[in-house]
Amino acid sequence: MDNWQYLVVLAACLAITAPLELFGTGVYRQAWRAASAVLPVAAVFVVWDVIAIGGHIWSYNPQYVTGLELPGDMPIEELLFFVVIPLCGLLTYNAVDAILVRLRRKRKQKAPST
Amino acid sequence: MTALGYTLPAVVAVLAVCVLEFAVLRTGLFRRAVYWISMVIVLGFQIPVDGWLTKLSAPIVIYDDRHTSGVRFPFDIPVEDFLFGWAMVTAVLLLWERQRLRDQRRNETP
Repeated sequence: MDNWQYLVVLAACLAITAPLELFGTGVYRQAWRAASAVLPVAAVFVVWDVIAIGGHIWSYNPQYVTGLELPGDMPIEELLFFVVIPLCGLLTYNAVDAILVRLRRKRKQKAPST
Repeated sequence: MTALGYTLPAVVAVLAVCVLEFAVLRTGLFRRAVYWISMVIVLGFQIPVDGWLTKLSAPIVIYDDRHTSGVRFPFDIPVEDFLFGWAMVTAVLLLWERQRLRDQRRNETP
C-alpha cells in the first residue's frame, strides 16, 4: 500500500479542490483554456525535473511511488504533480475571483444610488 | 559547489516568471487582490502537502543536501520548494489571465 502514497496525496489534492469548480465559470468547464495554461508550464518544469533527477539533485523514495517511470527516470507521479497542483491553483484563483466579484456586486447594491 | 543544483535554478525560475509578466505578458496579475489572496491560500495548502512529501522521517522526495541551502522550514520543507511552487503556480495563472484578457479584447472590438 505504501507504494500508492504519492498518488494518494495527489488524488487528495484533486478531491479537496473539486468543489471549487462550482464557482464562477469553473476551470474544468474551460478545459481548453486550462490546458493552454497548465501544459506549457508543465513542459518547462518536466525538463527541469528530468535534469535534476539526472544530476542526483533530488530523487524519489521507491517505497512511496508505484514504480511506473517515464523516460528520464521520472516517476509517473511527478508528471501528474505538474498537472494536479496547477489545477488546484487555478481552481483556488477562480473561486476567489468569483467570490470577490459577488461581494463587489453586493456592496454596489447596498450603496445608495447617487 | 554547494546550493547551485536547486537553490540557483529556483531563484532563476522566480526571476524568469517576473520577466514573463513585466516584459512579455503584462497581464497586471500582481496588481489584483484575487491573486494575492489565492497565493496565501495556495501557500496554506502547500505547507501540509509539501511537508508530507519532504518529511525526513519518511520522505517521498529525497534531496541531496549539497544542492540546497540546507534551510528547511516549516517542518522539513526545503525553502527552495516555495520558490519552485510560487514560480509554477504563478506562471500558470499568468497564462490563464492572458486568455481572459484576450477574450475581453475580443468582446470589446467586435
